[in-house]
Amino acid sequence: MIKSPGAGITHRSMFLGLLFLALLLPWLPMGGFTNYVLRIITTAVLYMILALGLNIVPGFTGLLDLGYVGFYGIGAYTAGLLAIHYDLSFWIIIPLAALNGALWGILLGAPTLRLTGDYFAIVTFGFSELVVLVLRNELWLTRGPMGLPGISPPSLFGHNLVHDWEFFYLALFLLMIILLVVTRLENSRLGRAWFAIREDEIAAQCCGINLIRYKVMAFAISASIGGLGGAFYAKWFKFIHPDMFKFWESILVLCLIVFGGMGSISGTMLGALLLIPLSEILRMVLPQSLFNARYLIYGLVLVLMMRFRPMGLIPFERAQADKALRARRRLAAQEKEE
Amino acid sequence: MDLILKIMNLSKVFGGLMALREVSLQVEAGKIVGIIGPNGAGKTTLFNCLTSLYSATKGQIFLGEQPLLPEISGTKVKLIQQCALLFFLISLAWLPLSWSFFLPHTFYKLELTLLGIFLLGIRLLVARKLRRFQIWAWGVMFVLLGGDGCLAVWWLTHPSKLGHLAGTGIPLAYFAIPWSVFVTPFSVFLIRQLLVRKVRQLYGFRMGPDAITRAGVARTFQNIRLFLNLSVLDNVKIGSHAHLRSGLFSTLLRTRLQRKEEGLIEAEAMEQLRFVGLQHRVFDLAGSLAYGEQRRLEIARALATKPNLLLLDEPAAGMNPQESSRLIQLIGEIRKRGVTVLIIEHDMKVMMNLADYIYALDHGVLIAQGTPDEIRENPRVIEAYLGRGAAHA
Repeated sequence: MIKSPGAGITHRSMFLGLLFLALLLPWLPMGGFTNYVLRIITTAVLYMILALGLNIVPGFTGLLDLGYVGFYGIGAYTAGLLAIHYDLSFWIIIPLAALNGALWGILLGAPTLRLTGDYFAIVTFGFSELVVLVLRNELWLTRGPMGLPGISPPSLFGHNLVHDWEFFYLALFLLMIILLVVTRLENSRLGRAWFAIREDEIAAQCCGINLIRYKVMAFAISASIGGLGGAFYAKWFKFIHPDMFKFWESILVLCLIVFGGMGSISGTMLGALLLIPLSEILRMVLPQSLFNARYLIYGLVLVLMMRFRPMGLIPFERAQADKALRARRRLAAQEKEE
Repeated sequence: MDLILKIMNLSKVFGGLMALREVSLQVEAGKIVGIIGPNGAGKTTLFNCLTSLYSATKGQIFLGEQPLLPEISGTKVKLIQQCALLFFLISLAWLPLSWSFFLPHTFYKLELTLLGIFLLGIRLLVARKLRRFQIWAWGVMFVLLGGDGCLAVWWLTHPSKLGHLAGTGIPLAYFAIPWSVFVTPFSVFLIRQLLVRKVRQLYGFRMGPDAITRAGVARTFQNIRLFLNLSVLDNVKIGSHAHLRSGLFSTLLRTRLQRKEEGLIEAEAMEQLRFVGLQHRVFDLAGSLAYGEQRRLEIARALATKPNLLLLDEPAAGMNPQESSRLIQLIGEIRKRGVTVLIIEHDMKVMMNLADYIYALDHGVLIAQGTPDEIRENPRVIEAYLGRGAAHA
């Protein structure tokens, strides 16, 4: 039996405690830094959403996806264009952006998911480059390199969101939804099918799992979460530009997952929560001339991680053992009742 | 006599190597049938053909009354597939040409990209199921003939303006005339060929491994294939995948159906684990189990698919005498549940204890069949195992 961290505390109470802390965050005294900290944390929450979405493909299903930022960009531009041309409400735009992401996920995934391993990764990489090219060149649609300025902020009951704490709460709300979706999927028939595919495709097939179908599903769901993240980003930043959706972003999100632990939900979130602020803090600490050296330090952190925790901060296996522990405890409680 | 499996003249060729040569065998319901043979005799290849992991080159397999493999040979299937692909490539190459003719300004890289994705999609659809393929085939045929029809009408009404390919000076007629003379009749002919009944049956019965499992054939593997990073319980739950109905939305909304199913399969999985004697390791990771336990877990997972026919590939390999006698007992109990067992095994003691009937393979050829006692005495079997001298000694 693998010992799990925090075996003494139940999962739920830990989660509620963290959520409470997060809700308290904007009101803590931070002496003038509040808005800055909030912006960084909101970015981290956004990347948590993205990482949770991407995690479904390489983490759950075991396919390397290098083109996640493509769906992020599609979501952002869907939201931006809908807001500018049709002036739709944020709450309508969000599902539409997610749907558009899913649509492209299926369009890309259905034909290419037959490819295995590296070949598939290359195709997804090509897709993300394609998205950037289209965003940059189709002037009639996206205004190309001029970007899309003047996206209206989201509103709630007629009140426009402007303050940083409002966006922070909004991001947190979206994160909770995605978290609910992802945890429910993980513990379902669907999630088990994905894990089975990741562990052994042949054995999965012989358990009656249709590989293509479940791979496309994973890809579509992951893409729709990416689209949702993009929509939030567009509405938050109010300006989007093709350069924001370059390949580097895909790698960054992938790094978060690898750092936190592929396939484990809590690990993925922890990875985003640690790495994203780290880059911001480095930006602040380093002198102007060494500004770009922050990526070096970033790389160093990853290398150290590979050396000391090669499976990530909270590896998937441990997450499984954790889950088993909870199941065992639940069963014991049931027996006691009887 | 109730046959659950009938294999007729099954052959499988890898490159130049004939792994199976005209193998025919029959399995009666409720029996335990063994397959023996030295290494490389083609036993596992036979199992892989049965579960559709390989597609057989020739021959037929009947699961009860249902044919799993068509009469038409593998090469013919391949030929038809390639023709279909060729046809689609030709017909789709035509699409941008006709677009460029009617809407010169939209013929642009985005469309080309879309077309590329579309092409790949078609390739995917060609290979698998006929029903989906048919819809596409008819659709493409209508688009194609419709496009040609429009073109013809346009030409008739504007005889002076024969169009040019957008952006270049090449007259469209260079493409359109050979097309209408050669490709259209050819494609219509091909589509008709593809939609005839024989081919429909052919594709309809070509099942993937997952469909075979759903049809009631479960298997274990020679080199154990478990989901090592998942818990023992989850491994068995994955086995009952095909019997659940909850999909994406019922999972997200956690409907009553989904909760009921989850509870049900959890109880079922516990049942299976108790049956194979792993109830004390339910929550451990499958990778942490001992070798013998992993074998039993694999059997539990196969049983969770509720098979009529269970294929066991060397279940006793690497087991000590105590473990293998437990295994014999377990397989006997599986038979009592009404599951027919087809078993590959080297361990003759296991085989003689269990099997009602044995087939012996050597170099892909069926060399003997009979009851265990007959097989033990059979000189060809002894020769295959021990060499020529031993049979005469």
